Amino acid sequence: MALITVRFYSLWRSYLGTDSATLQADNIEDALAQLEERFGPRLRKNLEAAGIHLDGKIQDYSLILLNGVTLRNLKSTALKQGDVLHIFPPAIGG
Amino acid sequence: MESKTADKDVRRWVTESAESQAAPDGRTHLVISLKTTAFISSSQGVPAKEVEITALKQGIIPSRYFRNIGTIGLDGQIKLLQSTVAVAGVGGLGSTVIELLARQGIGHLIIIDNDRFTEQNLNRQIMCTEGNLGEYKVTVVSRRVKQINSATTVTTFRERLTRDNAEKLLGSARVVVDGLDNLSSRLVVEHACRQLAIPYVYASIGGFSGQVMTIFPGDVGLSSLYGSSSDTVPEQGIETKIGNPPATVAMIAAFQVQEVVKIVTGVGHPVRNRILFVDAREFTIDRIELGR
Repeated sequence: MALITVRFYSLWRSYLGTDSATLQADNIEDALAQLEERFGPRLRKNLEAAGIHLDGKIQDYSLILLNGVTLRNLKSTALKQGDVLHIFPPAIGG
Repeated sequence: MESKTADKDVRRWVTESAESQAAPDGRTHLVISLKTTAFISSSQGVPAKEVEITALKQGIIPSRYFRNIGTIGLDGQIKLLQSTVAVAGVGGLGSTVIELLARQGIGHLIIIDNDRFTEQNLNRQIMCTEGNLGEYKVTVVSRRVKQINSATTVTTFRERLTRDNAEKLLGSARVVVDGLDNLSSRLVVEHACRQLAIPYVYASIGGFSGQVMTIFPGDVGLSSLYGSSSDTVPEQGIETKIGNPPATVAMIAAFQVQEVVKIVTGVGHPVRNRILFVDAREFTIDRIELGR
């Protein structure tokens, strides 16, 4: 079990009212499940209040990096003490 | 021999036309006016940009750059005038980037876009007006650059950037700036810049927030954010729901231009191997170190 930090950015930080949290998790799947349980309903509720409807769990509509690398590129989902998850909405406009 | 004589004539004209001007700190500097630059350019048959470079090399500041010099120095302004910067896309970011680069005194701009202005561009694309709706963006912005800075030369391509043409269109640039509004085109530009060994100043926005990163060849880049497989790259982001407001575009475009200035002049440090998040809603700036 590793103690990891989760950092929220941009709109997620606003709607969650916090910029970080800590979790005890064995692997990414475990961390994402805890993240969804702790923050998913609050995030979606505040987004809905602002007229923004997003389907699914946090990981379905966020960009998530582990120590600066997208989860999509990870070879292993194991976590180690001190790892950092960065979570933010994809902002692709210009 | 003829060219050396012409250079000497330009130097002489510039020196003899220079006037003293006091800076806000009270120190005086030799300057040359826009009108004099244009006269020398016309009478000697040399581009205005070359007149300005000649002046700067002699410590004479073209008045139009007077307020640039304290930040980047005479050498910095010369490097900017001697540089070619490509702006890929004339979206919200691209429009403001072009406006600022022209004022900064970039010598040559390459501008690539195949769209025309529409009403939905009016909120944030700084060169889009009610009077030019329907015009090609490259035509309008080229005209605007000439109005701002007659020393800046402009090459436009009314084409969509693709994997097939990107290297040809971007190949002569010192820096490529992201003026796009979609991820697939950004991936095309990033790939071409890596092939060409040209730094690429990426940015994107949504709502009150935006992000900026300069990607040199060999640096980490967009795959650290979005993944290496094109199958997993999102087509659209949260901006489809929270919008692309004008002030966010202007804010992030300004950061992009700072990156260009730093890259070209060597002053300061570009944001490399990390992404800068700027959130105006809560007013926070964060940097995430990126890995592979």
